[in-house]
Amino acid sequence: MIYQSKLAPKCDFLQEKNMEFLLSLLNSENENVTGLGASIILHSCESTAEQKALCHAGVVKKLISLLEGSLSQRDNSLESLATVMKNNVEAVSEFVGSESGRALSSVIGLTKDRYPRTRLLASMCLIVIRNTSACYLQDIGIKTKLVHLLLELHDDPGQVGDEAPFAFSSLISEKPDLQKLAFEANAIDKLYNHLQKSQLHPKRFQGILLALADLCSKLESCRSRFLSLQALNLVSDALTHDSSDIRTAACMCLRCVSRSIKNLCAGNFLNEMIVPPLVRLLDDPSTSVQVAAISVLGNIAVDFTMRRSLFVQCGGVKQLVQLSKSMDSTVRLNALWALRNLMFLADNVCKEGIFMEFTASSLASVICDPEPFVQEQALALIRNLVDGCIKSVELVFTEDGMILDAVRRQLQNASTDEIWIQGMYVLSNVASGTEFHKEAVMHQLIPQEDNGTQSFILKFLQSNESQLRTAAVWAIVNLTFPSSPGSFSRLVKLHSAGVVSQIKSMVNDPCPDVKLRVRTALGQFTTLGDCST
Amino acid sequence: MPVRVAESSAPSQLSGSNCGQTSPPACSLLSVGQAFSGTQNVSSLQKDEAWRVNVRIQGCDLEHGYLCGTMEALNVPMADTPVVTFWEGEIVDTKNYTFFTGKWEATPEDDIRHWTKFPSFSALQSHVEVDGGKSLDLSNYQYIFMRWKEQYFVNVGTDCGLTIAGFYYVCFSCSDGSINGFYYDPNSSPFQKLELKSTNEGRQGFSFSSYELR
Repeated sequence: MIYQSKLAPKCDFLQEKNMEFLLSLLNSENENVTGLGASIILHSCESTAEQKALCHAGVVKKLISLLEGSLSQRDNSLESLATVMKNNVEAVSEFVGSESGRALSSVIGLTKDRYPRTRLLASMCLIVIRNTSACYLQDIGIKTKLVHLLLELHDDPGQVGDEAPFAFSSLISEKPDLQKLAFEANAIDKLYNHLQKSQLHPKRFQGILLALADLCSKLESCRSRFLSLQALNLVSDALTHDSSDIRTAACMCLRCVSRSIKNLCAGNFLNEMIVPPLVRLLDDPSTSVQVAAISVLGNIAVDFTMRRSLFVQCGGVKQLVQLSKSMDSTVRLNALWALRNLMFLADNVCKEGIFMEFTASSLASVICDPEPFVQEQALALIRNLVDGCIKSVELVFTEDGMILDAVRRQLQNASTDEIWIQGMYVLSNVASGTEFHKEAVMHQLIPQEDNGTQSFILKFLQSNESQLRTAAVWAIVNLTFPSSPGSFSRLVKLHSAGVVSQIKSMVNDPCPDVKLRVRTALGQFTTLGDCST
Repeated sequence: MPVRVAESSAPSQLSGSNCGQTSPPACSLLSVGQAFSGTQNVSSLQKDEAWRVNVRIQGCDLEHGYLCGTMEALNVPMADTPVVTFWEGEIVDTKNYTFFTGKWEATPEDDIRHWTKFPSFSALQSHVEVDGGKSLDLSNYQYIFMRWKEQYFVNVGTDCGLTIAGFYYVCFSCSDGSINGFYYDPNSSPFQKLELKSTNEGRQGFSFSSYELR
């Protein structure tokens, strides 16, 4: 009983005398004593080193022998085996190979046991084996059986039914093949039916929401079925639940469903039922709820029906801008990512609204955030800001062009391709603007004073990352756009800086996209009158 | 706009063991946010007619050969506003999809009849006739072949008097971003031609935006 409390002290298996004590418990003839041994494993085995120590001491073999014992010994053994084998390839391999596969067959057999708890524990043990070593249990029959069994166990009114959705989630998570099998087994409808029941136990409620999230994480067919059942209403109601775990789970479910571009294009998420409660969650006392809510807002911000004003009306932009200055880097990252998506193809009014809320100096600060992932999202946001209507390019020139200066500093000083790619697209998009914009980009690429350092544009054109080369060549294409009056003089400067000869050397670039862009640039150089000839 | 097969970019054939393991080139002109405009010829025996059309790419998943976007038809008779539809595309990458449609009432003969309308297809035709093009490696080819199927009307009801029953055979040029297509619907005028060009929306150059779903 003492191990039913999470606060009970842990047993350190790495100490020899503790291990000897554990083995003596497991070797006991007394069912209660072996049960105590199994409880100690469940409670205390957390690290890989502890799992390995238990394997080397022969615990797996002992637990296998207990599978033949009484009901409680079997259940204890199944649960302990799952604990020892979780993410432990060595233990899984010992178990599967044990007694020529008889141990595995015995666990598979227990999935048909008359007791629901035994069936649940046996299936959880098999899921651990499958998740640890993907080469086992690939047979379609066993996969289908597990899907059906776990869905059936949701009907159990007690603890088994509360735990079933979590086991189901671990079975299908990140596995489109199993998600497809679950879809074919009518899983969405079955989970939805459970969700409709009143007075759901909070754990079960949370589990079902997470299971629906996993089901809808990859397959459009699942999302489509989910939406056709009006499940969205029930999940959006859960956003205001008293339990923070349920609020988080509801957000995760909405996040996965809102990955559907087809439904984003139909404007099925940006509405009064979903956006206001999500925006309120941005103030949630729990950081995990906050982050989960931002991640839904980030997805549904990619709305193509131009209903983004709803976001602004309920204070979403204001809140996200505040959160992008949070002390917590995960919150900052997610808030900037959501604003970047909101900025994607937004109209000028929306862009200006976000910009005014942010201010140029704050944007310049987030571009230079200490965290590289935050820097990347900030630059991606600016990239979207300067896309579309040409008026939006003017925004980065306010306050003496401090945003562009910050972009240049990152291009000079940052050290990841992802940051460089986003930064280079900022300059490339600005360079697709007016003469004034193009000259400003030239100034960033090729500074007047020669301090002997190589310009970053040459470094990027020579990069091993093809996407960075593509972005860099696009900037050159835009700077030498034939119909722009200043293109020839810029070509002369680019030639002097060694950019033209670098572009010429890329005519057979291994990346097809880069090669074609290089040809576009070379064609423009010829049209302008190649200054090198 | 007519398209030609460039000699330097003739498709290569895959060795047997690698069949189906190709992917199309990642082309920045076919990325999310990119816009195209042009016309669709909807002429019938009774009269010559062309609608102005704008297309925008909204989603792209090259790994699964998937592309989607919106298509806006302007000056459509009987419609008070431009008609916007959402379409989903299958990219012929020989891994996820071949040149044979296998659905939407299109037989392999219908497929060949439409694909051969694109000059850039002629270099592939002999292989496609054998197995739909499964043995072709299109990863370095300058053209991307697709099928676009409209899924729903975005801004009007299904009672608008228009149909989206058919689908488009599409050929995209990676070098200049031009798009040519032919609408196929056994119940509509045959070979309605779609001609689109990459637009830069008033800019002196090309601009690229991006989003990310999580």
